[in-house]
Amino acid sequence: MNVLAGSIMILAMPCALAHAAPSAKPSGATPAAEAPAAPCEACHGAHGEGMAAAHVPRIAGQSADYLKKQLDNYADGTRDSPVMTNFAKALSDKQRIKYAMLYSSMPMPQSPQPKSLSAVQFARGHQLAFQGDERVRVQACNSCHGPDGVGVLHAAPYLAGQSADYIASALKSFQQGTRKNDAGELMRSVAKQLNDADVIAVSGYFAQVNLSTK
Amino acid sequence: MVQRLKEVDVVVIGVGMVGSIVAKELAAAGYKVVGLERGQTRFTVPEFQSPAIHDELRFDIRKAMMQDNTREPVTFRNQASQVALPVRRWESFLPGTGLGGSMVHWNGQTYRFQANDFQLATRTRERYGKNFLDADLTIQDWGVTYDDLEPHYDRFEYLLGTSGKAGNIKGQIQPGGDPHESPRSRDYPTPPQKEHYSGAMFRKAASSLGYHPFPQPSSNLSQPYTNPEGMKLNACVFCGFCERYACEHYAKSVPQTVILPVLLANPNFELRTGCQVQRINLDSTKKHATGVTYIDAVGRELEQPASLVITSMFALNNVRMLLLSGIGTPYDPATGQGVVGRNYAYQTMSTVASFFDEDVHINPFMASGASGTLINDFAGDNFDHSGLGFIGGAFIGAVNTNGRPIQYHPVPPGTPNWGKGWKQAVVKHYNHTVMFSLHGSSVAQRQNYLDLDPTYRDAWGQPLLRMTFDFPQNDIKMAAHLTAKAVEIGKAMGAKQVAGNPRKGPYTVTQYQTTHNTGGSVMGDNPKTSVVNRYLQSWDVPNVFVIGASNYPQNASWNPTGTLGALTYWAIEALKNKYLKNPGRLVSA
Repeated sequence: MNVLAGSIMILAMPCALAHAAPSAKPSGATPAAEAPAAPCEACHGAHGEGMAAAHVPRIAGQSADYLKKQLDNYADGTRDSPVMTNFAKALSDKQRIKYAMLYSSMPMPQSPQPKSLSAVQFARGHQLAFQGDERVRVQACNSCHGPDGVGVLHAAPYLAGQSADYIASALKSFQQGTRKNDAGELMRSVAKQLNDADVIAVSGYFAQVNLSTK
Repeated sequence: MVQRLKEVDVVVIGVGMVGSIVAKELAAAGYKVVGLERGQTRFTVPEFQSPAIHDELRFDIRKAMMQDNTREPVTFRNQASQVALPVRRWESFLPGTGLGGSMVHWNGQTYRFQANDFQLATRTRERYGKNFLDADLTIQDWGVTYDDLEPHYDRFEYLLGTSGKAGNIKGQIQPGGDPHESPRSRDYPTPPQKEHYSGAMFRKAASSLGYHPFPQPSSNLSQPYTNPEGMKLNACVFCGFCERYACEHYAKSVPQTVILPVLLANPNFELRTGCQVQRINLDSTKKHATGVTYIDAVGRELEQPASLVITSMFALNNVRMLLLSGIGTPYDPATGQGVVGRNYAYQTMSTVASFFDEDVHINPFMASGASGTLINDFAGDNFDHSGLGFIGGAFIGAVNTNGRPIQYHPVPPGTPNWGKGWKQAVVKHYNHTVMFSLHGSSVAQRQNYLDLDPTYRDAWGQPLLRMTFDFPQNDIKMAAHLTAKAVEIGKAMGAKQVAGNPRKGPYTVTQYQTTHNTGGSVMGDNPKTSVVNRYLQSWDVPNVFVIGASNYPQNASWNPTGTLGALTYWAIEALKNKYLKNPGRLVSA
C-alpha cells in the first residue's frame, strides 16, 4: 500500500503545489477528520475541502455510496480523469470503502464559494436549480440533488457550496461523454441540453449556496 | 348572447392523449384545428417539478389532477332500482383534467389486447358453444381485428418509446417475452426496465410452476429515446411517483413529452383552455353537426362552427357529450334498445399479498409505475374455460408501483384497522411484503349502463352522467378462480403467509380499483348495437368521430391505453385517407 500511495502522491504533488492555499479548516472537526492522512489529502485537503480553483471538488460529507462508486468508476473507465484513474486503480476495494467512509464522515464545509455571477447569471442558475426549463426540456437540478442542492443520500451528490469550476467540468465531461457513470444516462441527457452560459450560471449558483445554520 | 366565432375545419373536444395525436395529424395535413380543453395548460416545467409534485396528500389523497367533482361529478348506483347519488370524492376511478388529460397521471403500463379480444363473441361461441355465456351478457365483436390494428399499435408504441421485450415477432416466439401475445411486426423501441426484486422472486416462482413470466411493457423509459416526432425522453429514475402524479424527469410518455410541443408549434392549431363544451350543435336534420357551443374561462358562451367534430375526452365524458347533444339513441336497459350508454364495463381487480420474514427486503419505494413482472397464462382466453362458468381472465404479476407512506401499508388479514396494533403491523410488514395485481377483464352486461341523471346537474346547469354498475357474476367467478392460482405463486415464492383478496360484489365507488372505465359509445358493425362504426364515426351524425375507451364493447385483461392509441391512429388513417377526401358515411348502415 505504501508503495502505491507513494506513486499517487507523486502524481498528485504538482497539483497540490501549484494551488497551495490555506485550507478552510472547519471548527469542531471530528476525530475521523484528524485521522492519518489518506492519499486523497494532497488535493482534496485534510478536511475534504477540495481546491475550488483547481477543479478539485469538496468530498467531505459527501455520501459514502457516491464516493465509493466514483472510485470504482474511475478504475473501470466509466469516469475519466488523468489523476483519479490511476489513483483509483491503485486502491483495493477495501481501501476504496475505507476512504469513502472516511470523507463521508467529515462535516460538510459550511463556507460557500464567493459570488461571481451577474444578476442575470444568478437568475438563470436559480431557475435551472429550482424549476428547470421547458424550452430546453431540462428538469430542476434540485429534483434529484435535494433542496438547494444539499444532496440526497445514496442517490445524488450534494452540489451546495461545491467548487463552481468542478461542477462546470463535471457537466462538460457529461456533455462530452468522458463521464458515463450516470444511471440511465440521466446527467448526460441533462448536460447535453445546457449551453456554455447555462453551465456557468448553474455551477456558479450552486457554488455560492450557503448551508451554514449560523 | 352567444358569440359566433369564425368557422374552422376541425374542433377537438379534450386535449389529452387522443386529442393531441388527432390534432397534430390533422393540423400537419393542412386543416385548421381548434382544441378545446376544459382544464389548464401545464408542462413538465414548471408544473410537474419536485418537491411539489411528490406531495402525496395533495395528489394521492386530495386528487389534485382529477376532474373537479365539486363542479362536475358523476352519479352512481349499483342497480336501476336505486337512486343514484353524486360521487363527491373520486376513489374507485380517477378521471383527469387539464392539458394532456388523464394520461399525465398514468402508470405507463402499455399493452396490446390479443387477437381473440377483438372477436370475443365469435371466438367464445366457436370454442365453448353458444350457450356457454350467461344470458344477460352483451359481449360483442369490435368490428376491427388485431391485424387491422397491428401497424397502429406499433406506431403508438414507437411514439411513446415503450420499454419491453417482444414475445412474438411475426409468429416467431421470442425467449424472455410473452409467448401468448399476438404477433407484432418488431420489438419494442426500448429494452425492458430493470426488474424489481419482487419481480425477480415472482419470475422464479412462476417459472417453477410452468408459467411464462415476462417484463411489464412500460412507458416509463429504460433509456433515453427520441421518438419519430423528434421528441427526446429521458430514462426513469424509479422514484415511485407515477400514478396520480406527473413525471418531473421527461421520462414518462405523456402528451407533454411525446407530441404536444410539435402540435403547439403548428400555426394550423389553436389551443383554448378553460373551455367547457356544453354540446355539439346539430342542424335541423339532426344528421349533421355544425360545431360546438362552449363556455370559456370568463363565462362567455361561444359557438365554434366546424366541419368536423372529434370527441376525445375521457371515456365517461365522451358518452355524456353524445347524450347532451342528442347524438344517437340513448340505451334503455328495460328493453335492451338504444346504444348510447350501452355496454359500460370496467376492470375486475383482485390482489394477493405475500408476507415474508424480516430478513427479506423488498424496498417497495424503488419503483416505476410499470416495472413489474407478469404472466399472461391466465389472461383472456389463454387457458381452457370449459366447465369454469366464466370467460375472460387477468394478467397476474408482481407489479410494485410504489411504497408511498400514506397509501402503501400492506398488513395481514386480522390486523386491527387502527391504533397501536395496526401501526406495529405496518412497521413490521412495510418492507417485507410482495403485492400481486390481478388485472381482470370485464364483460358487458345488460343491466350495466350510462345515462343522464334526472336530478343532479353540473356547475353549468347540465345533467350529470349517471353510472349504473355492478360486477357481473361472470367476473366474480373469474376473480375467485384466478386469485387461487395467484396464491399458489405466492406460496411458491416461499412467503410465510399469503393472503388472496379476490374482487367481490357489490361494486363500490368509495374504494380505489382502477381508472379503466370503458364502453358507452361502443364500436361495431351494426348500428343497432354500436354507437360508432369501425372507423369510430358516429352512425347517426357522420361528421362526428368519437375516440376513447368508450369505444370498447367490453374490457379485456390489460390496461386500455395501448389499444386506445392504436384505435386513435386507425381512426386518423380513415379520416385522412377516406373521410376528409370525401366527407360522408365511411360504412353504410
